Amino acid sequence: MDAETRTEAAVDARRPGPARAIGEVLLEVKDVTLRFGGVRALSGVSFDIRRGEIRAIIGPNGAGKSSMLNVINGFYQPQEGQITFKGEVLQKMRPHFAAKNGIARTFQNIALFKGMSTLDNVMTGRMLKMHSTWFEQMLYMGRAKREEIEHRRFCEEIIDFLEIQAHRHTPVGKLPYGLQKRVELARALAAEPEILLLDEPMAGMNVEEKEDMCRFILDVNDEFGTTIALIEHDMGVVMDISDRVVVLDYGRKLADGTPDAVRANQDVIDAYLGVSH
Amino acid sequence: MNPLAVRAGVWLLSVPILIAALGFGFKGLAAVDSSLFFTWGYFLEVLIAGLLQGVMYSLVALGFVLIFKASGIFNFAQGSMVLFAALTMVGFIELGLHWTLSFVVTVGVMVLLALAIERVVLRPLVNQPHIILFMATIGIFYFLDGFGQTIWGSDIKVLDIGISKDPMFVAQGVFEGGLLINSFDLVAALVGAVLVAGLAIFFQYTRVGRALRAVADDHQAALSVGIPLKTIWAIVWSVAGIVALVAGIMWGSKAGVQFSLALIALKALPVLILGGFTSIPGAIVGGLIIGAGEQLAEVFLGPLFGGAIQDWFAYMLALVFLLFRPQGLFGEVIIERI
Repeated sequence: MDAETRTEAAVDARRPGPARAIGEVLLEVKDVTLRFGGVRALSGVSFDIRRGEIRAIIGPNGAGKSSMLNVINGFYQPQEGQITFKGEVLQKMRPHFAAKNGIARTFQNIALFKGMSTLDNVMTGRMLKMHSTWFEQMLYMGRAKREEIEHRRFCEEIIDFLEIQAHRHTPVGKLPYGLQKRVELARALAAEPEILLLDEPMAGMNVEEKEDMCRFILDVNDEFGTTIALIEHDMGVVMDISDRVVVLDYGRKLADGTPDAVRANQDVIDAYLGVSH
Repeated sequence: MNPLAVRAGVWLLSVPILIAALGFGFKGLAAVDSSLFFTWGYFLEVLIAGLLQGVMYSLVALGFVLIFKASGIFNFAQGSMVLFAALTMVGFIELGLHWTLSFVVTVGVMVLLALAIERVVLRPLVNQPHIILFMATIGIFYFLDGFGQTIWGSDIKVLDIGISKDPMFVAQGVFEGGLLINSFDLVAALVGAVLVAGLAIFFQYTRVGRALRAVADDHQAALSVGIPLKTIWAIVWSVAGIVALVAGIMWGSKAGVQFSLALIALKALPVLILGGFTSIPGAIVGGLIIGAGEQLAEVFLGPLFGGAIQDWFAYMLALVFLLFRPQGLFGEVIIERI
């Protein structure tokens, strides 16, 4: 089987699946405007993410995709607009609040704890789920011991799931690029997120690594029912795996809809291919 | 077999061999040069005194390691934190508090200081390059230096918390006259050992410890998994402040509380280079090597150079180390993918 048919096979095997019910709106951004000094990174962007779906954000370079993700997880605070998350209306998100309430993410330029092992990196994803005090942890007794074992087991499952068992104790700085991306995904998954934000999960990967990543993303969505919002440049991938696509250009929303609808949209074609005046 | 156990075994074996080799070397030198003097008893005595002195260096180095581990910043102000802590402690004792009570109050003061540093200095500088933060710590050094002496005065003060300073003689049956050991240094060594064991466990096995290491590696990634940067920094600086207090008490009761306490930080530098800036056990081992090395060099090699080599020997040792192992004995290996 060549690369393309394999990806397609993976996609076909999964949809339409009866288990994959796309539910109510989980997160909604409304009229979000983000400025850096005089530069408008986002102007009045609105869209929603529904529970259980794979939602892609695409657009040419500098369209504001990463800024959008940073607004959603609270790294950037928009000047205007609001975010509704699980029915709660927020003026702005805060990173800690986001992490605590089930928003996990990966980064365009991998942001791992390079000196720490794969396992330790993944364990940091469980940080907010541990409740024992540092005193208990130092003595390694009672709740601390139970917790450590329980969380370690969970992390091992994720490590198995993403097939990085062999690199458990390697400092992640030593791993090749594709595996680092996978460890980052593992860390995000360890938090058992409701929404997983992936910023270019396949950037800089070869075909084989891309396929693996595609499969993992689909599996995560299927098996854990995790809602996924992802930014990606590889159109083939985006059109194959996402349920709905929102297109940004120069900080504005250009189109929003199913992959087929977006593909047929004249504005989108113009933005991507250029238009003669 | 566990690679860690193998490494530990190699260390444990190589240490006595190295010490014996040093002893025979000095003995040989003494046989050649008449200005040198050597007996095994004397050698051991100097070695032990040096090791105990080394623990005192480690106490100071520890404070540096803590902050470097958790933020990648070399905290220039650590020395002045030692002085400030000691001054505060003596100050409260002079106000009539018992030393234990004064200790508790001073711990509180150091925590407040950490909170203030986080709020006023670190928070506005999030995501700035390390060199900027380093320069900010130079500012903290001068501030604390002046602030402490403004409040508590600049006289040399005596700090006495009741540790005996009497010399002890041990192993009198084996060596003529026995080995002289300073009991104060012995207590300091014990305190240092307890502190190091506690901190090492804290960093390695607790959630906060893991968070600390994570913050040092990547601010943004840490935020994304929900690690509260502010809290972590406040904790690190508080712990570093408390370590500074312990170092201040030990050095203060040994040498008096005075401005020169701020300068023992300079002695911590070679310790850090030797042990590795990121390793708590490294701070201890580095301290032991520096302490023992400079004492032995002073006594058994000093006369060859006209004496007083103690002052520069540590730095030279550190320099040699930098050539062969820039990350130090226990430091994190420098990973660079090209």
